[in-house]
Amino acid sequence: MAQTSAQRKKTVAATLLSLPLVVFALLFIAYPLISGILTAFQAKTLLDPTASFNGIANFVGLFTSGSFSQAAVFTVKFAAIVVVIEMVLGFGLALLVNRRFPGKKVFFTMILMPIMIAPALLGVMFRLLLNGDIGAVPAVLHGFGMSVSLFSPSSVVPLLVVLDVLQWTPFTFLIIYAGLQSFPTELLEAASMDGAGFFRSLWHVVMPVLKPVLFAAFFLRAIDAIRTFDVIYVLTAGGPGTTTTTMSIYIYKAAFESGDFGKAAAASLIVLIFLLPFVPFIVKRIASTGMADKK
Amino acid sequence: MSAVTQTKPTKTSSTSAARPSKAHSRRWLFTVIVGIIAIVVNIPLINAILVSFKPDGEIAKNPLSLPTNPTLDHYANVLYASGYNFPQFFVNSAMISIGAVLLVLVIAVPATYAIVRLRFGGHWIIDGASALRLLPAIFFVVPFFILFSNLGLQDSIPGLILANTFLNLPLGIILLAAGLRDIPNEVEEAAAVDGASIYRTLFSVVLPMLAPTIVAAAVLVFIFSWDDYLFALVLSTSNATPVTLGAANFITSTGIRWGDISAASFLSTLPPLVFAVFAQRYLVSGLSAGAVKG
Repeated sequence: MAQTSAQRKKTVAATLLSLPLVVFALLFIAYPLISGILTAFQAKTLLDPTASFNGIANFVGLFTSGSFSQAAVFTVKFAAIVVVIEMVLGFGLALLVNRRFPGKKVFFTMILMPIMIAPALLGVMFRLLLNGDIGAVPAVLHGFGMSVSLFSPSSVVPLLVVLDVLQWTPFTFLIIYAGLQSFPTELLEAASMDGAGFFRSLWHVVMPVLKPVLFAAFFLRAIDAIRTFDVIYVLTAGGPGTTTTTMSIYIYKAAFESGDFGKAAAASLIVLIFLLPFVPFIVKRIASTGMADKK
Repeated sequence: MSAVTQTKPTKTSSTSAARPSKAHSRRWLFTVIVGIIAIVVNIPLINAILVSFKPDGEIAKNPLSLPTNPTLDHYANVLYASGYNFPQFFVNSAMISIGAVLLVLVIAVPATYAIVRLRFGGHWIIDGASALRLLPAIFFVVPFFILFSNLGLQDSIPGLILANTFLNLPLGIILLAAGLRDIPNEVEEAAAVDGASIYRTLFSVVLPMLAPTIVAAAVLVFIFSWDDYLFALVLSTSNATPVTLGAANFITSTGIRWGDISAASFLSTLPPLVFAVFAQRYLVSGLSAGAVKG
């Protein structure tokens, strides 16, 4: 009898303790999720929020307009390029920092700082740096006799890639560096005893052990890069024209500039479905690396 | 190049021997290289700080030099001049971020305890939290806008506290669940044997042991709430505007006041940067637990 009463107490306690989460999740997670999916199949606008179902008209509109697929292609390309660069540089930097040298603590902190700065504020700082009249970068270019207009259609994309790499290489660095800390040094010493060259031991010894960490860094960054909004919106608002319109910017503009909630929700749903297959995969990866990293 | 070989710390090495001194100079080489990288990634911040101390005339004249006649005028403008609402933005950001930290902890700490220790709901809630963390925030922008318009939460501090709680709750649950699993169960069992109720066990036995994880979660939630821009852009117009939105609007509304803008943007990044420096231990453990940002 005592057993069951204890069991009951436990169940009551579990329910009570979870109550705030359940209430919040129903109101602010489940409800928005469902209403978002429903809106995707409705004619609903900012000015006329009374909804009426219109089937798949929103989706048809998206795929026939061309500007959505343009945004999708730009987003995927942009994400692929920045993530590859950030992985390589982050890995290199992690190997570089993974030793003792004077001033390591200070520089380690400094390298992590860009992760903490709000992307929107970093966008403002980039504008200061890149402005044609007062920016240091145009001044340097001018000093070399170059007069490049940084925000022209041809140079704006490489520019955004560089800026993204500057802000997020510290992130891939941090994840990979943390992974290296739990790396058994005996393995490395054994490899160097064998006389294996630097790149060979990197490839055959370091990479296999570090694979889960590299996966985690890669996918976390990829997902964040695909939903990029703040920096690009502050810097170019998706322009010139629609050159730098990411899917997030496209959805934002569809909803709050064109006022077409139905279209924005449909585009959101496509992004969601596109990312969904990666989710269980990453959840598993994160779960395993997250646990392994704990010391 | 045998960079893989771990150079053992040789603190006692005398300078007379050739090898240690060579290793010593090689270590300084890494100082230089890593130092340069550390400066390069922070160029935007350093530039903004330099510009913020230059008088207006100097800003356009010599973009590359250090301030020759440093001034605090821009800071005074940002903080005291009429027409800017910067102090208000700052207060808004602080209230939103602190509110979100408290609400995330109040919801996540008991719930995570129930999930991990009392087997409430099961593991899928943790997986669900990880999954939610990965979904694009933009998906929720329109539903939140509609919901908040209906609830009268549009452009209010409580509204943005709720939105940032939504954004950061998954992170809180993931971090706290990982922290809880690291705490040995025996202590709680002993407390139960001594006749302590579940609630007392949670408050006086588990919470103190969980403190480092709670601090890590609080710091990260604070920073991510402070840094939010997308939800602020959609869910606030004037009353609840945080610094991210305020500073970004500065640039379009008063396009030529570069000094003031740089002072405002530097001041706005200060709270997260202070955490980055003084709570680095928690940041690193929290971020590298893999459960990361939106």
